[in-house]
Amino acid sequence: MKKQKSALITGITGQDGAYLANFLLKKNYRVFGTFRRISSPNFWRLLSLNIGDKIELIPADLIDDSSLKEAVRISDPDEVYHLAAQSYVGTSFDQPITSGEFSGLAVARMLESVRQYNPKIKFYQASSSEMYGNVKSYPQNEMTVFSPQSPYASAKVYGYHLTKIYRDGYGMFACNGILFNHESPLRGLEFVSRKITNAVAKIALGLQKSLYLGNLSAKRDWGFASEYVECMWKMLQQKKSDDYVIATGEAHTVQEFVERAFEYVDLDWKKHVKTDKKLFRILEVDILQGDSSKAQKKLNWKPKTTFDDLVKIMMESDLKRWKDFQNGNIFPWDALSSIDEHKIFTRST
Amino acid sequence: MKTALITGITGQDGAYLAKFLLGKGYRVYGIHRKLSSTNLWRLNYLQINDKVKLLTGDILDPFSIFHAIEKSKPDEIYNFAAQSFVGTSFKEPSNTLMVTGLSPIYILQSILKINKKIKFYQASSSEMFGFERTNKKNEKTSFSPASSYAIAKTTAHFSTKMYRNTYNIFAVSGILFNHESPIRGLEFVTRKISNEVAKISFGLSNKVELGNLNAQRDWGYANDYIIGIWKMMQRKNADDFVLATGETHSVKEFAELACKIAGISTKCIISKKENLRLSDVKHLQGDSSKARKTLNWKPKISFKQLVKMMVEEDLKRWELHLKGESFPWDVIPNQKIK
Repeated sequence: MKKQKSALITGITGQDGAYLANFLLKKNYRVFGTFRRISSPNFWRLLSLNIGDKIELIPADLIDDSSLKEAVRISDPDEVYHLAAQSYVGTSFDQPITSGEFSGLAVARMLESVRQYNPKIKFYQASSSEMYGNVKSYPQNEMTVFSPQSPYASAKVYGYHLTKIYRDGYGMFACNGILFNHESPLRGLEFVSRKITNAVAKIALGLQKSLYLGNLSAKRDWGFASEYVECMWKMLQQKKSDDYVIATGEAHTVQEFVERAFEYVDLDWKKHVKTDKKLFRILEVDILQGDSSKAQKKLNWKPKTTFDDLVKIMMESDLKRWKDFQNGNIFPWDALSSIDEHKIFTRST
Repeated sequence: MKTALITGITGQDGAYLAKFLLGKGYRVYGIHRKLSSTNLWRLNYLQINDKVKLLTGDILDPFSIFHAIEKSKPDEIYNFAAQSFVGTSFKEPSNTLMVTGLSPIYILQSILKINKKIKFYQASSSEMFGFERTNKKNEKTSFSPASSYAIAKTTAHFSTKMYRNTYNIFAVSGILFNHESPIRGLEFVTRKISNEVAKISFGLSNKVELGNLNAQRDWGYANDYIIGIWKMMQRKNADDFVLATGETHSVKEFAELACKIAGISTKCIISKKENLRLSDVKHLQGDSSKARKTLNWKPKISFKQLVKMMVEEDLKRWELHLKGESFPWDVIPNQKIK
């Protein structure tokens, strides 16, 4: 009988980590995840996927070398998926140092922890389409030159190159997945997609009046996160490690997202959406559109969920949550203990 | 109107202090970390989520701290943010030292540059006494830290003192002995007990797995201690104070009393080897006579009342939960934690 494979996921409490854990459990992996000890538990995504008791958690922090080494030693994994990061572009302007630490330097800590423990462990680095920044050419593929426009993106560029260096320099099996935006009902509330669907659901139920947004004309290539995690796994099952762009190939503006979301509840978005200067990024990225033909060919993958479907999935879920909540049902959820965004001050305020 | 800035506002002490200061008419700012999941249940529980103003920041990003101080223009800064759990500090020593140890320096340096009149409170801890054998510990007792957490807190404590003496900043340390409440984190032994005991009484669990049952602590009620903290900041001169009840009780006593209150057998209390600290502090008992005299402060809630309050609140939560009601809460089904 084949030995059961095991995987270590950093960032298992986030959207991608939770979906990936779920996917790997179905593939019969033993799944370990690192989590930060914080004063409030943050496991709602794992619970909402019903895998809270199926995964094994190891306390660790990206800033703490010894805890990462220990996590690798305890889990003794075949594959490491390094997803943990300070993952929100907006915050990276407020916290350039920690963004560099967590999204950049931490990749070095992980790669070193893996290399020193067992260089045969396969490594996945969560690279990001934000690395392309304001590149003028699109769609963007594996050959496109990066032009990062945020502390987040430049930290991710560092992580990307470091992953390549460990691949080329030490012969490690290390892949970069350059994922374009990927959303889902488990997306964090600060991300524009989820912010929209959560607010539109509340507006439809009379719990909120307006939705404040930043740049409505920013164009993004939006896919469904639970499909994208499959590609992460596929990359690590190839003969040779390589870098892949994962994207739908279609770009839509934030405004289109808003329009679809309001159409879902039959409301006129213009009556509810307001733009707020405070919510613009310090440096905007106008368009991100990916060309995933390499992944489609080599990984035998293609995006299934269309943009319209994605908005529908997210709207359905947030509407259901707010309705369930009104009916007194209990379920793992983040929106209840969130806070009005206008109460949070950022650098652009 | 006075303004206060609280680091660690999402934690037990931060949330209670925010509520207390709002009651005193303060404008309250808090620094909060952007995480992938929301962590504001305590502010929601105390119904002050729409009354406090949050600033994005991280102790490890000194510029974000500087910016938060510049932006909020506080009269008083309360530094509660820390990697605050002793157990984790054995697993993450460098993280603990960075977050728990360096934060006062970042904040005090910012105070020097922005406005030297800002008052500063440092959350020092009885864990700093550690191995020290003196029976009742006060402001004169020497420190002998027994964990990375305690070492970091000692560093922070001396930094605070140094800025007070060298730069003449109003910087105080409150050396607080254990202070608990219904909004204590679940990893702390008191809340772990009250939560498990409540579950057992509803048939949802059958044992409370603890570590050293004989460890003795001086346990007070967090909300009482908040008042002492605020009082330290209202004095003419900055000074350090021990806040404690002066009584000690063992973990076993806490657990047995909790069982009694919930009406369950004490047989469910189990000590497990893997829950023992690497180096354990056996006994911590404080002498807060200086605070009682100078600040006219004393803890109101007794040990018994504290245990009762915590168990009753957790019983109520589980009851509501089983009835299908939703409310701000931190409890989640058990996770396998290595």
